[in-house]
Amino acid sequence: MTVRPVDYPPPFAPSEAIAAPTDPVSQRIEVGVLIVGAGPAGLACAIRLGQLLEDSPETAERLGEVPVAVVEKGKSPGSHLLSGAVVNPRALRRLFRGSPLLDGVPTYGEVHGEAVYLLTKGASLRIPPPPTMRNHGNWIVSVSQLGRFLAEQAEAGGAAVLPETDAQKLLVADGRVQGIRTGDKGLGRDGTPLGAHELGSDIVAKVTVLAEGTQGHLTGAAVDRFGLEGEQPQIWALGVKEVWKVPRPLRHVVHTMGWPLRKRARYGEFGGSFIYPMGDDMVSLGFVAGLEYRDVEFSVHDVLQEFKTHRLVRKILAGGERIAWGAKTITEGGFHALPKRFHAPGLLLAGESAGLVNVPTLKGIHYAVESGIMAAEAAFRSLQRGESPARPGAFASYDDELRASYVLRDLREVRNMRQVFDKGFLVGGALASAMTVTKGKLPPKEFGSEANADRTLIRTDRAARYPKPDGKLTFDKLSSVFLSGNRTRDDQPSHIRIQRRVPRELAELWVNMCPAQVYELGAEDDDGTVHVDVNPSNCVQCGAITAKGGRLTPPEGGSGPEYTLT
Amino acid sequence: MLGKAASLGGDVAGVLLGSGVEGLAHQAGIYGAATVYVADDARLEAPLPQPRVDAIAQLVGEQGIETVLFAQSILAADIAAGLAARLDAGLNWQLTDIAADSGTLVGKQSALGDSVVVDVGWKTTPRIGLFRSGAFDPVERATGQTQIQTFEPELQEFSLAAEMVEQAHAEESGPSIEDANVIVAGGRGLGEPEKFGLLEELAKALGGAVAATRAVVDAGWYPYSTQVGQTGKSVSPTLYIACGISGAIQHKVGMQSSKTIVAINKDPNAPIFEFADLGVVGDLHAIVPKLTELVRARKS
Repeated sequence: MTVRPVDYPPPFAPSEAIAAPTDPVSQRIEVGVLIVGAGPAGLACAIRLGQLLEDSPETAERLGEVPVAVVEKGKSPGSHLLSGAVVNPRALRRLFRGSPLLDGVPTYGEVHGEAVYLLTKGASLRIPPPPTMRNHGNWIVSVSQLGRFLAEQAEAGGAAVLPETDAQKLLVADGRVQGIRTGDKGLGRDGTPLGAHELGSDIVAKVTVLAEGTQGHLTGAAVDRFGLEGEQPQIWALGVKEVWKVPRPLRHVVHTMGWPLRKRARYGEFGGSFIYPMGDDMVSLGFVAGLEYRDVEFSVHDVLQEFKTHRLVRKILAGGERIAWGAKTITEGGFHALPKRFHAPGLLLAGESAGLVNVPTLKGIHYAVESGIMAAEAAFRSLQRGESPARPGAFASYDDELRASYVLRDLREVRNMRQVFDKGFLVGGALASAMTVTKGKLPPKEFGSEANADRTLIRTDRAARYPKPDGKLTFDKLSSVFLSGNRTRDDQPSHIRIQRRVPRELAELWVNMCPAQVYELGAEDDDGTVHVDVNPSNCVQCGAITAKGGRLTPPEGGSGPEYTLT
Repeated sequence: MLGKAASLGGDVAGVLLGSGVEGLAHQAGIYGAATVYVADDARLEAPLPQPRVDAIAQLVGEQGIETVLFAQSILAADIAAGLAARLDAGLNWQLTDIAADSGTLVGKQSALGDSVVVDVGWKTTPRIGLFRSGAFDPVERATGQTQIQTFEPELQEFSLAAEMVEQAHAEESGPSIEDANVIVAGGRGLGEPEKFGLLEELAKALGGAVAATRAVVDAGWYPYSTQVGQTGKSVSPTLYIACGISGAIQHKVGMQSSKTIVAINKDPNAPIFEFADLGVVGDLHAIVPKLTELVRARKS
């Protein structure tokens, strides 16, 4: 039997995440511009708005007591942020132009040297970095730390940053976005109120900016509601990373391709690793693999463990200790999967939730900041006297600016580079080189991609290759989740929507895919299907389940990982 | 805790607040209090925090008391917080120990899911500390004379505004897992929910309580109130018997401060054997009933 995740859709309709305001008018929380997500995009938007409103007090006054608010589901800004990360500083320079704050951005310095390796099980071949992977002058950061810093600046600029606040529904009425509804707190597992129950609220705004990052819950609903689907389905990769304290400094950034992934196209294993120095005594390392993979035994968490046993990596980590862990999906559809428009009446989309990630260069944070700045400027223009953000097309200038900027120019150049790796590593590599040299003009053909959940499943003996956890170099999933700082309340309703009785292959796919051991195989029925047991409180909200046939929704505000170094 | 306080040097006093409690004062003396302040007052009968905040705040002012230590309970936590606010004093909580370091008091506070112990101090007096229950063993100290001083607390009007309407106990046969000296805990290795009966029998024989791991609570085998671990309760009984528990770190952080840990598990590679004081590799379904029988026989 051929099993595809897409044939077992989750019990979830995008329309569930859309509602009209229900609180009586007097009880709604009114803000000027409401930003969903305290990541680089949302916070850059808040900071830029603060700058613009400072110069235009009359506009600020019209926006009421809270001109700018940022809601964030994590325990604090940065709690849910995870990336490599090597950042192109271009957009941060623009955000803090002429300000001493630019020197305050928390970084681990500039990239001074880099190495790219092609790995086999026993050897490593150093190759010249492809042009897309040259990083001289870029900054090494922890995006979690960057988020905390940006949140402080946003607050200093007058924005209200509201952590532990999950945006469950997009408020839409009269054809325009009016704000969001936050989730209830203190519900029991079956949804009945517990002692500490607190109702959610309607937060209404003149402009709502969705900057939710990967797998945006409301972005998905908005794309559906306003018909913004791109030409091609969105696809994702899953990245799992660790931060290590090491006795010897690493001097350069390392990327690897090849092993432990298998080259043949039939497996659909595409990805690679990164190892970045974080100062003299830490390194950040991770493994990223596209979720188009097909093998039910494939597990990025365990591929990372396998990767660490390579001599090249052992040497870097020798004598060290793992101090942080986390996982997150990366939006990889690129240019072809961008939404048709980046706006709707009353609404702007920014950052990764709008698909602004450049896979060949492994970058997206500067696009997030840049689009956040542009969204702020577009929102500001619409709030000037005589304008109305609700007017259809009021934000058309945001699209024009994005398209004219380096953000979309870059993405257009590399538009087919990710897709061609569906043909396997060697053919894909050759086609990608041609695209690099010709800035995307050759080959003269557009390449499509299949949605991650459409891939048929196969099974090989993949899991036999994963090393047995030794608690020093290699770890099991539960120890990893513990390091994420996740202390989610166990008795809250499950925020993960999946079919609970599925073919064994699909259940195993989920069990192995999830880096946080959320899914477990339950009892088998007579017809060969199995029950999937779910431990939602382990979830670090990486979003892989949404790519592979389920649907992640935001848990109660304040739940999930508490990243600080990732 | 009186014993611990006495070991730090300085004068140690106990405070006894309640109604009809005066007779208990001499006991505080046995454990190391040189003075016991007693307020025996009908208005202190109900377990309400505010009148007690009044009484202790008054004592701190009149007697020049520099440090006030509490043992964890819901009432004590309320009083400690109220007292800190009233006196504008620093409060350290979740303490597991305290020491005098060249004249300065340093508390040990367990943090990050019990994975680290942090030294905490106080910038000003009075210092307020709230200790985890079971942090210290009671030590009898024959100090000779204990001075018992009764005093009349002046209670604020607002402190008497709350009134105890009803006090009810959750229906439980044995001690709660927070209070139990012995805990028998079950995990997925039990195989099925009915097998908790075996653990209940053993707990009853030992006068202890039954606890559970998150996995089995999630599966609905046992109530959430008995969950031990990172997202459940933290316990430190004298004896913790882990049956069919693999010992994932999420469970470990909730019970690793138990005095003696005994693990019964059929998987010899289970992580729990790495931190158990006594490990038994075997079938708990055979071992636990035998153990219950032996305990009963020994007792009778």
